[in-house]
Amino acid sequence: MTPIRQVDIRGPRFAAWVTTVVLAVVLLTGSGWLLAAQAVVFAVGAFAGLRYAPYGVAFRTLVAPRLGPVRETEDEAPPRFAQLVGFGFALVGTLGYLTGAPVVGAVATGLALVAALLNAAVGFCLGCELYLIVRRARPARSH
Amino acid sequence: MDATGAAVLGAALVLAAVAAWWLRTRSGAVRTTGGAAVQELDVLRGLGVRPEDADLTVVQFATAFCAPCRATKARLTQLQTRHPGLAAVHVDAESELEAVRALDVRRTPTLFYLDRSGALLGRSSGAPRPDELAALVAAHAPAQGPA
Repeated sequence: MTPIRQVDIRGPRFAAWVTTVVLAVVLLTGSGWLLAAQAVVFAVGAFAGLRYAPYGVAFRTLVAPRLGPVRETEDEAPPRFAQLVGFGFALVGTLGYLTGAPVVGAVATGLALVAALLNAAVGFCLGCELYLIVRRARPARSH
Repeated sequence: MDATGAAVLGAALVLAAVAAWWLRTRSGAVRTTGGAAVQELDVLRGLGVRPEDADLTVVQFATAFCAPCRATKARLTQLQTRHPGLAAVHVDAESELEAVRALDVRRTPTLFYLDRSGALLGRSSGAPRPDELAALVAAHAPAQGPA
């Protein structure tokens, strides 16, 4: 396990709003390259950590100073896992758009948008919820 | 403008709105479960749950990626200071997948509520609403305070 890091809970919510807007623009323009950029943003958050996630950095430097002091922090693991799930969808979507399968691109982007919007609007982490369903679907080990 | 993308965007917004409505109104509600409570008790006992030790035992299935589980755990700990008859057991769902399957736990947090006799009072999926949780605890584990 990596050491547990805490993040300002407003950071991931802000990032989720930005992500929602970016994904909506991807859908309206059908731009695989914009989705590829979003996939990179997800990848940085998931693999390097939320400290380096571009929207998180923007939140800390541009938004947080105007909002006042940090009131509540949370463990980095749930939102970081959500970035990984987002990365999966964005990767599939990017491949869809860039290989001439725009419907695949649009559907994958739409699913990622639902997850991002739920996270932004009600603080619900879809990827975190799916985690257990994926884990329990694996065949039972005998021990 | 991409017509397919615009249609998917519309569908995604509707889907998110329905999901948000469901989460706000239904998620976390305590459901009473009739029927096979005996088998569920056996599974929970296998995890070290001892309902006879407390007026109300709450068993929470959680994962490392579950932020609402942390909030619920903190809420239960807080309730325990006022309700000494309340016991809380936290189970790492990922390391108890057999029990997760046997109890049909799909989401985290999923909570099971047992009285002292081991009867299953109910279960809930998603973080329980604070007022509903407090009422359930108050109904089964009396508050300790100035008499």
